[in-house]
Amino acid sequence: MTADHKFLIEQIASGDKQALAALYKALERPVYKFIVSRLNDPHEANDILHEVFMDVWRSAGRFEGRSKVQTWVFGIAYRKSIDVMRKRGRVDLTDEQPDLVDDSPDQETCLAAGQEAEHVRHCLETLKDDHRSAITLAFYQDMTYGEIAEVAGVPEGTVKTRIFHAKKLLMRCLQGRVERTVA
Amino acid sequence: MTRDDFENLLVFKANGTLEGEELAALEAALASDAELRAELYALEAIRDTMQSDPVQSPGELGLARLMRDVENETRVTEAPAAANDNVVPITRLRFWQAAAAVVLAVGIGFNLTDFGPGASVETSVAFEDRIAEPAGFGLASGGSSDFTVAFAPDATEAEIRGLLLDAGVEIVSGPSALGLYGLALLDMDAERSARDILASSGIIDDLQ
Repeated sequence: MTADHKFLIEQIASGDKQALAALYKALERPVYKFIVSRLNDPHEANDILHEVFMDVWRSAGRFEGRSKVQTWVFGIAYRKSIDVMRKRGRVDLTDEQPDLVDDSPDQETCLAAGQEAEHVRHCLETLKDDHRSAITLAFYQDMTYGEIAEVAGVPEGTVKTRIFHAKKLLMRCLQGRVERTVA
Repeated sequence: MTRDDFENLLVFKANGTLEGEELAALEAALASDAELRAELYALEAIRDTMQSDPVQSPGELGLARLMRDVENETRVTEAPAAANDNVVPITRLRFWQAAAAVVLAVGIGFNLTDFGPGASVETSVAFEDRIAEPAGFGLASGGSSDFTVAFAPDATEAEIRGLLLDAGVEIVSGPSALGLYGLALLDMDAERSARDILASSGIIDDLQ
C-alpha cells in the first residue's frame, strides 16, 4: 500500500489526475474522519479535505519520500485544521493548558456495552486539540508515535506526553459517563 | 522502563504498532501486572469503538469537486500569459465557470457510476479522458440552472443520484461557497413534476 501511494504521488507530481483520484479514494475517508474529529464540523471538514487534496495536487513534486505518503497527507490536514482553529480563536498553542475534565475520579477500565461510541465521541471532545489529535491518530489511524510526531511536527517525546495525558483523561471521562449511565 | 513508560506504550500495543525491544519489555510487564492488562483491555475496547464509528465522508461528490477544481487550475496554469495577466476579464471568468460546471456535470450527472465503491483506476482513466476531451460531450439541459438546491449534509451520493434521476434533472453548477448546487431540467416541460419531486425529497434542505 505504501509503495502504491508513493507511485501515485510520483504520478501526481507529473500531472496525472487519475492518480490524484486514486489517492483521494484511498485516503479520503481516514483523512476526513481525522479532520472532523478535530473540527467537529462536517461542512468545514469537507472544505478542509478539499483543500488538503488540492495541496497534494500542487505540491506532490515536493514530496521527498522520507515519510509515508499517508503521514505527509495527514500532516497537511493537521496544519490546515490548526489554521481553521486559529481563525476560530480556539487553538491551544502549548501543552500547558488543561483539558476540560468531564467528570469524576477513579481510573477504571470498563466500557459497558451500548452507547460506547457516543461516550467515546463525547469524551474525545473534552480533550484539548493536541491531546485529541494524538489519540485520534493512534486509534483511528493506527499510527506509531514516530508517525504521529511527524504529522504534528513535534518531537516523539512530546507525542508520548500528549498520549499519556490524553489516555488518562479519556479513561477518566469514560469512567464517569459509564458510572452515570449505570446509576 | 518506568511504569509510566509502560502505560504510555499500551496505546501502541493496543493499535498493533509496537515492536522490537519495547514490545518485549511491555509484554513482560503485562505478564506480571493485572492492572496493566486491564488498562490494555480498556484501550483496545476504546480503539475498536473509535474504528467502528461510521463517518459520512464527501465521497464521490468530493471527488467530483476536486476534479473540477484541479481541471480549472490546470487550464488557468496552461493558459498563455498575457502582458497584463493579473487582470482577468469577466468574460474569461464566465468561461471558466461554465467549464467547471460542465466538468462537474459530466462527473456527477452522467457518469457517477464510474465512481462507485468498486470503481477501479481504469474507470478513473476513462473519467480523466472525458475531462481532458475538449469536445464531444455536452449537457442535455443546455447548461443553465432551473433550480438551486442545498442537499442535506447526511445525503449519500446514491440518494442524490437517485433523486436526480427521479426528478429528471442534472447538476450544472456548484457547489457554491454556501454548498448550493444548480440543477437543470432535462425536459423543459417537466418543471412542475420535477419541483414536486425535489420539494418532497427528504435530502433537499433548501429549494429555490
